[in-house]
Amino acid sequence: MASKMMLGVYDNPDRVYTVTETLVKSGYDVHDVYTPFAVHNLDRVLGVKRSRLSIAAFFFAMTGLLSAVALQVYASYYDWQVNVGGKPSLHIPTYIPITFELAILFTAFGMVGCFFFVNRMFFGRNTDVIDIRVTDDRFVIAVNLNTDTDVKSLEQVFVSGGALEVRERIKDI
Amino acid sequence: MSYESPLREPLVKGGKTYADVTRDILRPLEKNASKSWWIAFSVSALVLAMWIAATTWTMLEGIGAWGLNKTVGWAFDITNFVFWVGIGHAGTLISAVLLLFRQKWRMSINRSAEAMTIFAVICAASFILSHMGRPWVAYWPIPLPNAFGTLWVNFNSPLVWDVFAISTYFSVSLVFWYIGLIPDIATVRDRAQGIRKFIYNFFSMGWNGSTRTWHRYEMISLILAGISTPLVLSVHSIVSMDFATSLVPGWHTTIFPPYFVAGAIFSGFGMVLTLLVVGRVVLKQEDYITMGHLDAMCRIVMLTGTMVGLAYITEFFVAAYSGVEYEQYAFINRASGPYWWAYWIMMSCNLLAPQVFWTKWARSTPWFIFLMSIIVNIGMWFERFVIIVTSLHRDFIPSSWTMYTPTYIEFAILVGSFGLFFTLYFLFTKYLPTINMAEVKSILPTHSHDEHNDNQAAVQSANVEKGDTVHG
Repeated sequence: MASKMMLGVYDNPDRVYTVTETLVKSGYDVHDVYTPFAVHNLDRVLGVKRSRLSIAAFFFAMTGLLSAVALQVYASYYDWQVNVGGKPSLHIPTYIPITFELAILFTAFGMVGCFFFVNRMFFGRNTDVIDIRVTDDRFVIAVNLNTDTDVKSLEQVFVSGGALEVRERIKDI
Repeated sequence: MSYESPLREPLVKGGKTYADVTRDILRPLEKNASKSWWIAFSVSALVLAMWIAATTWTMLEGIGAWGLNKTVGWAFDITNFVFWVGIGHAGTLISAVLLLFRQKWRMSINRSAEAMTIFAVICAASFILSHMGRPWVAYWPIPLPNAFGTLWVNFNSPLVWDVFAISTYFSVSLVFWYIGLIPDIATVRDRAQGIRKFIYNFFSMGWNGSTRTWHRYEMISLILAGISTPLVLSVHSIVSMDFATSLVPGWHTTIFPPYFVAGAIFSGFGMVLTLLVVGRVVLKQEDYITMGHLDAMCRIVMLTGTMVGLAYITEFFVAAYSGVEYEQYAFINRASGPYWWAYWIMMSCNLLAPQVFWTKWARSTPWFIFLMSIIVNIGMWFERFVIIVTSLHRDFIPSSWTMYTPTYIEFAILVGSFGLFFTLYFLFTKYLPTINMAEVKSILPTHSHDEHNDNQAAVQSANVEKGDTVHG
């Protein structure tokens, strides 16, 4: 789906923050803000909901933990007991290191997988970069232009906030 | 966005703008390789060739090519393995532990330290493979249903734990490093042309820099740091259990896990200093990796060196206090037996030498820091040699006491592993940004963009004056 947007280009994160705050408060449909680094609190201003990655992390950790325990108990107790120096076959303390490592391994890979999935990131993806300079030193506020958007006053907000450039573009979303 | 103290030295010097950061850090990637890079790379590649030759010889000839015997069954191989794994601890420590503690000075050094971690663990893994003697059956420690009936691995064995620990550590470090690289790879992508653009575009995974992506990115970095912190502590604890759970005098001690972790951080920072003291000059990154960064790392080296030294002395006390004759003899033999020289190299390099970092001069003189970092690395290699060889060569039965002498092949593998390490490291400096640009940009003071560069000096000095009047 292609949509029409108005872009305000800035060179200072403080200004981007103030302008975004003004735009959101005055009810404009702010699509997203593109920055070269994570600008603190900008996500809160935009109303981005707290990511549920941390909840996913917990479930991945539990999966890793349980799989490790299941593997070790099954292999060393139920399937084939090996007598090494008369030591017990079902010996919980010696399962701790592997259980711990697998919990971490599952958490890391599971979470990173989720992260790529929700961001729709994969190797070789061609993205429609909003402005090639946002990975260098520019900050871009993108506002969706709906039928009822007052373009004149939007431009006014952009410019009075210190925009270096204001322009329209079509973006695939 | 970020507040900068008027009194403290700034983390990034030279009044950089965001564009300056991009340009400075991508310079080595975007221009042709310098002559010094080619020389350094060629030398490491030659040393790597020696590693390949010596390792191949070992594979063809068997472990008989080494100086091992019935009494000393582990020597250079496991020494080198523990040495490289230890070096591999600084990267994750810097990026994970210092992230949790909100230490912003980590931002200029975490990328190269993490790269170092990954390459060091690759070197370590090569020793696991070669010490098996039959690397084609290296998959045996993995619990797989197999063709020998249902014979599983022994989950009571620390060697099996080690397989899990090292492989988890390597893969999680790699993922953590790669997640950190994605925004910077996107920066390279947006400046590149032609085939380079295609390649960097492939690896940037469609990064677009939107606030929603950054929000999740910050979350995932924090959680990865949170799980990497116990991971980094667990890995060297498990490595130490390879020794500590045995009955060999000198190995069988409960102090090993914390002592090995402290030693790993110590040697890791030693190697980070070796690389960065030179790298910051060669890559012209003195404004990013400042004397303040070197100073902070020297303090960590001193602290962890002293912790390791304390552990050496505690081991003696514990041996004396235990009343176990074999344990006591193991330590007397270490300090005054045939390998006394190795013991005293270890003591002087690890406990005594780092104490010079109490002085400001030592922490602010690059050539001296470089020299010290080499001494630390030598000391930590000898620590592992002392622990492994001196404990084994004289154990319970005097009739089997013997000496261990390494062969040329073993020396070639040790030296060659540095070739493997540096070849990978030099490739990294040429093809990937060695400093995390996105993080460094986030700690630049915003006023440098209001005023732009020309007014930067004035702003700085005004701040200093303000600070002086307030606090003076």
